[in-house]
Formats: sequence, C-alpha cells, structure tokens
Amino acid sequence: MVELILCGRGGQGIVFLTRQIGQIASAKGMNVVSSETHGMAVRGGSINSHLRIGSFFSPLIRQGHADFLLSLDPSETSNNRHYLKPDGVVVENSALAEESAVRRVDATGLARTLGRVQLENVVLLGFAATLAGFPVSPEEIRAQLEKDPREAVRSMNLAALQAGANATR
Amino acid sequence: MTQDDTSEVRFLMGNEAIGRGIIEAGCSVAAAYPGTPSSEVLESLVRWKKELDHPVYLEWSVNEKVAFEIAYGASLAGGRAAAIMKMVGLNVASDPFLSAAYLGVRGGLVVVVADDPGPHSSQTEQDSRFFAWFAKVPVLDPGTPAEALEMAVRAFDLSEKYQVPVLLRPCLRVCHARQNVSLSTPQPLADAGVFRKNWQRWAAIPRFRLILHGELNEKLAAIGRDEAMAQPRLVNGNGGSDTAVITSGSVSSHVRDVTASDKRLGSVDVYKVDMPFPCNAEALQQIVTDHRSTLVIEETYPVLELQLSDRRSVMGRFSGHVPPQGELIPELVEDLVLAAVGEPASRRETPTVKSRRPSLCPGCPHRSAFYMIRKTFDQAVYTGDIGCYTLGINLGAVDTCLCMGASVGMAGGFGRVPLPDRETKVVATIGDSTFYHAGVPALINAIHTRAPFVLVIMDNNITAMTGGQPTPAHNFLADGSPGVPIDMERLIRGCGIDFLEVVDPYDAGALEEVLKKAKSYTFEDGLGVAVVITRRPCVRAPGVVTPSDRFRVNDQCDRCMTCIRDLECPAIHLVQKEKRIEIDSDLCAGCGVCVKICPSQAIEPIGA
Repeated sequence: MVELILCGRGGQGIVFLTRQIGQIASAKGMNVVSSETHGMAVRGGSINSHLRIGSFFSPLIRQGHADFLLSLDPSETSNNRHYLKPDGVVVENSALAEESAVRRVDATGLARTLGRVQLENVVLLGFAATLAGFPVSPEEIRAQLEKDPREAVRSMNLAALQAGANATR
Repeated sequence: MTQDDTSEVRFLMGNEAIGRGIIEAGCSVAAAYPGTPSSEVLESLVRWKKELDHPVYLEWSVNEKVAFEIAYGASLAGGRAAAIMKMVGLNVASDPFLSAAYLGVRGGLVVVVADDPGPHSSQTEQDSRFFAWFAKVPVLDPGTPAEALEMAVRAFDLSEKYQVPVLLRPCLRVCHARQNVSLSTPQPLADAGVFRKNWQRWAAIPRFRLILHGELNEKLAAIGRDEAMAQPRLVNGNGGSDTAVITSGSVSSHVRDVTASDKRLGSVDVYKVDMPFPCNAEALQQIVTDHRSTLVIEETYPVLELQLSDRRSVMGRFSGHVPPQGELIPELVEDLVLAAVGEPASRRETPTVKSRRPSLCPGCPHRSAFYMIRKTFDQAVYTGDIGCYTLGINLGAVDTCLCMGASVGMAGGFGRVPLPDRETKVVATIGDSTFYHAGVPALINAIHTRAPFVLVIMDNNITAMTGGQPTPAHNFLADGSPGVPIDMERLIRGCGIDFLEVVDPYDAGALEEVLKKAKSYTFEDGLGVAVVITRRPCVRAPGVVTPSDRFRVNDQCDRCMTCIRDLECPAIHLVQKEKRIEIDSDLCAGCGVCVKICPSQAIEPIGA
C-alpha cells in the first residue's frame, strides 16, 4: 500500500502526473484509486491530487497517512504537509538545498533549460521515481510516456523525465 | 458487472465510467449541459462513441431543461436516453423532470446529476437524492467509479422495467475519482417499440394526472419492496455488533476504508444502501432495532435518516452528531465512527492551510474587460454570473452571483426600487455560454421593460470554466458533426435591442470608448438597456496561440500597484525585499494590456 499527495498551482500539470502514475500501477495489476481537482480552483488556485495504491474504496487520503508528498510549488508544500506520515517524504520542486525527509530538485530550472517550463511536472516525476519506495520506476514511466502518439510531446516528455532522473543527488 | 477473463480493465475517471455505462446499456441519445463535476460524462461519451464506432446521438444542449426534454423525447420514441447535468442544473430542468415522473417513460431514461458536497465548484450543497424523493423518482447513489458504471447500466434496466425516469447521483468524489474499472461489451441499442399516440397518457390533462400519480406511487412501493438495490447491504462486520452505520454513496467509501483500517472498528456493522429512495424503510428500521446505536452517514441531507420512523437510538443530523453542512471528509468520518463506538477521536495536528485564490488566467480577455468596466463605471453595482468570469470579484467588478443568467435578471430589478436614495447604476456581466443558457429570456424582458442597465457579454467563444465545451455559436456539435452556428448579434438584434457594440477587449482604448457610449446611452440619456459584446477567444481554447511578446518594468515605475491591484494579473508581482515590480515571463501570455493601462508608462516590451 502506497499513498501519495501531489500538489501545486492550477495549470502545473498535477492531474497529468496523477494519471500517469495511476495508469502504470493499474497496468501492473495493482488496485489504484485517485482523486483530482477540476473546475474553479484550476484557474491558478491551490490544487492537490490524492493517489492510493492498495485495497481502498475512497479516493481521499486521511491526514497523517501519505508516504510521499510531491510538490510542484514550494509555497503549496505547507498546505499539504499534514497529509504525510511521520516518516513520509516530501519531494519538492525547489532550487534550495535538501533537508532530512525533504528531497528537492530544481524542476522549473531544468525544464527551462529544456526549452519549456511546462515540463517541470515530468522532471519532478522523474526525480521522485528514483527514490526508495516510490511506486513506479523511471523505466516504467518512460514506457508509459512513449505511448504518446504526438512526436514532439513524446520527445520533450522523455527528455524531461531523463533530466529529473539524472538529477538525483 | 461480470468480470470474466476477457474483460478489459482501464484506469477511468468516475465520469468516464458513467459514460461507458451509458454506452454499455445500449443508449441511443445523451444530452448534457456542462457543469463541474459532471462535464466529463458527455466528453467521455464522445470518445467512447468514436472508439467503438457507436451510433449514439450526443449533444451539448443549450441548457439542462432542454437536455432533459431531448432525452425524454428520445425515450418516448422508444430508445434509451440520458440527460446529464450538475445538481443546480436539475433546478433548471425541474419542470419537465417532475412532470415526467408522473407521465412515465418508454425507453429507459436516466438522469445523471452530479452533486458537490463542500461545495468545491458550485453555488449550493443540495442533495439530488432529496430532489429525487421530491420528484418521486428512484435514485441510485454510487460509491466508486466502478460502481457508477454498474449502476448506470442498472438504472436503465430499472427505468424500463417500471417505466419511470431514474436518477443516478454521483458525488464529486466519484465523478473526479479514478479507479480500475472493468469494461464489458456494449449491449445493442435497446428498443421499447415505436411511439403509439395516447394523449390520455402523454398529454394528460389534470384528471388523468391524478390517475398517473396513483400509478407512480404504486411503482415506488413495488421498487422499494422488490428491488435488491433498495435493501441495505452489510459491507463490514457480521451483523452482531452493538453499533451499526447506515451509509450510501461516495461517503460510504470513506466509511468502508476507515472501518477496515482500524482494529477498534473492525466489527462495526456497516450497511450500504445503493438506492436511497425508494429504499426498504422497514429493513432500515430493523437495523436500528437490532443495534444498540446506529450512526447514519450520508451526503448532504438526511434522506435515509428521514425514512427511519423511530430515531431514538440514531446518531445523525437530527441528533446533532453529523454536521449539517460541508463535505464529510474521511477524517470527519473517522471521528464520527470512533465516537459512535465510544473511542476518542484521532489526534491530528491542525493543518496550516493558506490556499492560493483562483484568478483569471494571464492573458484572459475577461481581465481587460473587467478592468475597463470598473474604470468606466466606478461605483456602479456589478451583477455577475456563473463561469470563469465570476473571478471578476478579484478586480472589484463582480458584486453579485446568484445562478445561471441572474446577472441580467437581477440587473433589471436593481434599478426599480422607488425609494428616494435608491438610484443605482447597474452593470451586468455574463459569458457567452451562460447568455445562451439563461440570459436570453432575461434580456428580452429587459429590453421590453426599458430596464436601466448596461449588459456586457464577455464572448470568449467557449464554455471555458468547465473545460472548453462548444457553445451554440459553433458550427459543430459535441462529437464534431456539423451544426448551425447561432449568430449572437443577430440573436440580440432580434430581441429588439437598439444599442449594440462589439469590441476587442485587448484594445483598451476602443473598449473604453464603447463603454463610455453605453454609459451615456443608458444612464444619461435614459434610453434603456445597452449591450456591449467584448469578443476574443479564451487563451486556453484549442488552437489559440497567445502572443510571444514579453514585457519588463522600467525605472519609470512608482509602484502605484495599478497592474497588481486593479488589473490583478497573476504574472505581475511585487518583489517585497527589493520593492520593485516584476513580470514573470513564464506566466505572461503576452496580451500587453498592462502596457496600455500603466499610468507611468513603465511597462515596455523586452527587446524594444
């Protein structure tokens, strides 16, 4: 059983990440249930997704139960930290140095060097996937992203994934 | 749903699962009006239709009342039909909905109504199960996406068997949840036979309505007595506990996870009701009798609780145990169940949540329109409407928001109060899709009565808030097939308007001039309602390319804050430490409106 919270601002691609992880786990035969934010909040507001792998019915994670918190915007991390278990791990898009239980990668910066800041979500995912206990591996994500029929989107996403996976310190 | 070896499993959103269920049930017609959290049902139907080369007819109707009537007409023609909407949409469709329950249906008729406890993206927390009870229509309440697919298929069977409409009520936590869902082969299109004229049934006068009402009551009694979904189902425990929980819908999933994950709660008897109305009330009461105490957890109104005649040992909304408003989130459910068995609530640190407020997108054409409306009309009262542009509140240009179309209707009433100090200048703002939905009758009323207000129709050529569905102005339908575009100016002129101007909201100068003209027409010359259309496509619409221009703030800036406070562009922010204003080129959409409105001419193109 693994429970993940993904957070950020509307428009950063939280829903896309949630679906990628969910689809991979689902294809591996795992039970997955997730929850997304749509509607008014997506207009730049605070949003989060919940993703639960295991025998769950509810799509919502209770406070103190999440194994990972993936944060695309550091200012949103504190809004969601209460979902984490005491030994849960924060994975944050930030240029700052890492701390204990807070893994950081400058996903925005790496995405910008790839020519498209919108790729920050995939960079963060690539980084997170290298961490111990993360439910999907960079190889599995690569296989999933390779299914995108749009050549340009596919190659950009794969480059972003690689940049994130290589950023592990 | 039978899960054989050949069945395919997909990771589907609840709304996609409902769309799949509609297709698997052999449905012929589905009509919807978009609204969170229901919009993805018809969007997924478009994809299922394409993927399966299915003949189902799909449409985004002009509003929910029409969507219901399209579906009802198709049902009388003998096909299975679905109408899909959010809960406040059912208010709009309530007239035909209540009447259809009396008249009955031919082909199975399912009304999918998505509820939004919270509320997260809605005006009310109304419980559509309660609405179904009021309308005397059976209602199914799914707990998960997989169950929603199953129930969609069963809803059609139930509707056809008893010749009544059936309401399928998913909550947001089902609509926007994703889960592994097993697919089945779609049934062939159902056929209830050709329509045979019988005015005493299908055009019944009041005398016959009385007979039909009696027949409806008999159907409901039979459904509650005979149908498996009307019976409470034990989903946790063995029936021998002192404590029972009665639950339904998406909140039942929280209850199941909470009881399964806590040893102290493992023996609690949890009963789930798939059809909260009409349910077997005797069986519900028997649960209460068989347990020392019974907790009822349902969203958002006490529908099951009200069907218990003896509530002396019941903990719920009437006893004050369950909050009467707000979403029942898992933490709350955990505390309620723990309290019911006499255990202390879980300790949790209080979260410090400082949520970012939603805002119109950078480059949104509504932003410059609102800015200029506010500048031109200043202290006027601004009646607003339902859509992205409700966010005009951030620019001080939306003062009221009631329901679809109410900006126009309310504006007509604001200026009518005959008290000496009550002279009010009113400016109404409404989006294009909302205008077609419910603004047109209100505008006819305003023109006819020479109502003293200015109406700005913010036409971004799309239903933006709900994800970009087409409007009647498009020359294609939901599935891309050709449609007849409705010309907004011809429509408005046809309503009898004299003052009508169209302007590009990015053109700040032209916009200001048009708004001033409207102001003098309505408020100085007293000639009645003036209509201004601000027209530019949504920056998020498919195919819209935003300008690549980027801008910076130069030394002329005196930090007057006009761009941040009045224009409220998310790409512009104050760097507190250095006391300077900065434009984030990643967020900027290149509209250049800030350049035109900056009082110090301090914003300039990069590279100029």
